[in-house]
Amino acid sequence: MKKRGIGVGCMFYGIGNTGMPNPAGAFLDLTDDGTVLVLTGCADIGQGSSTVLAQIAAGELGVNIEDVLVVAGDTGVSPDAGATSASRQTYISGNAVLLAARQAKEVLLEEAAGIMAAAASDLCLRDGHVWRAGEKTPLTVKEVLAACRKKGKLTLGSGWFNPETTGMDETGRGAPYATYSYATQVAEIEVDTETGKVSVLRLVAAHDVGRAINPKSVEGQIEGGCLMGIGYALLEEVKLTEGRIGNPRYAEYLLPMSLDVPEIHAIIVEEPEITGPFGAKGVGEPALIPTAAAIANAVADALGVRFYDLPITPEKILAALSAKGDGSARMGEIT
Amino acid sequence: MKPFRFTATINGRPVDLPVNPHRRLLDVIRDDLGLTGTKEGCGEGECGACTVLLNGRPVNACLVLAPEAAGCEITTIEGVAPEGGLHPIQEAFLEAGAVQCGYCTPGMILAAKALLDKDLSPTDQAIKTAVSGNLCRCTGYIKIIEAVRLAAAKLSGEGDAV
Repeated sequence: MKKRGIGVGCMFYGIGNTGMPNPAGAFLDLTDDGTVLVLTGCADIGQGSSTVLAQIAAGELGVNIEDVLVVAGDTGVSPDAGATSASRQTYISGNAVLLAARQAKEVLLEEAAGIMAAAASDLCLRDGHVWRAGEKTPLTVKEVLAACRKKGKLTLGSGWFNPETTGMDETGRGAPYATYSYATQVAEIEVDTETGKVSVLRLVAAHDVGRAINPKSVEGQIEGGCLMGIGYALLEEVKLTEGRIGNPRYAEYLLPMSLDVPEIHAIIVEEPEITGPFGAKGVGEPALIPTAAAIANAVADALGVRFYDLPITPEKILAALSAKGDGSARMGEIT
Repeated sequence: MKPFRFTATINGRPVDLPVNPHRRLLDVIRDDLGLTGTKEGCGEGECGACTVLLNGRPVNACLVLAPEAAGCEITTIEGVAPEGGLHPIQEAFLEAGAVQCGYCTPGMILAAKALLDKDLSPTDQAIKTAVSGNLCRCTGYIKIIEAVRLAAAKLSGEGDAV
């Protein structure tokens, strides 16, 4: 028999740990041709941080993202940005790049103010132009840059960000994070009570990311996290025997593949974080965290049996159904 | 071991070189020919990162011995794009956001090409099956499946319609 269930998983996750120093730095240079060169120690491992940092620099300087060149994770030239871990890079390196861009922007605005005989505080940069009191002027960022160069003025910026290190008290307590991301996921599953196989039919994943600097990559992170969460809930188990991994191959350590993909609806919730760059927080790990809980709750909803260890394999389901005395599980025939 | 004369067509060009017969097609492609777009993942035929086309059929280059590929027409990721441009499947991967770390991407694109060379209006199930030999740990496959759907539309002349 096939039984369906629906389950919910909720989570909050700290972004920007404060128990220990947690800084990132960035250098920025607007070169003669208008290229914005960003040097960052932030390693892009596929999550798209280099794109996000380019967007942040472009957004602050009012130029096209195509004009931004990010040199990332080159220890020969880039400042330390700490690890790409703990869902921290958009928040922490994003702030460092934002501060570096702001410093270079101040030089540009000061120069533009001189050209236009205006107060720098009335000016801003957008769409490659100088704007005055909310109105676009014909003066371009590249023209301001050329005016700076004519005087031998360089347009450099450096920035670093560290969420205030609060430390811990003698009991090990404190304020551990600068901010938190929140998420709720709902899973709809189907269990085959004869084979014990759980199929995930649908996942709805709503994530508060502060502000999505790059919505498509946020979606990609959420979808990837959901699928990894399905693996965590149903498939993946490192089998250890006396310290040796008994299943070190993909043939034995099962990952979700394309045929395991359910409908996934990623919902981006934007509640800007005041300390984040353009309001952004992190989404990397949060995307994975509630999935297994939602699936386990859905399994409990379907079968009336609760599982307390992962992965919820067909063997565990059949054993539980048999212990419950559910006639539809025929262990003898399977083993 | 005594080398043999390996002749084949790779990406439309004839190759002719001495190869030890115990070498894998993957070694010939990456090390002898320097075509490093083909990736080695697990080296035992499970992950699909080394997928290439052998006479139009997707194979794991880590499981094919060089002598088995002799005389065949081989397509690697370097042979997919036209000179100076991108193949519609590659464009679709970019547009759909189907690339994260990128390690599975060459294999995914070749697996997709093998499908779309035969079927320009695949069902989602056919797409999922076509890339089921290629593992991806980043994307959750959703945007990869979307990209193949988009590529099918591009290749069948439906333009941007998805």
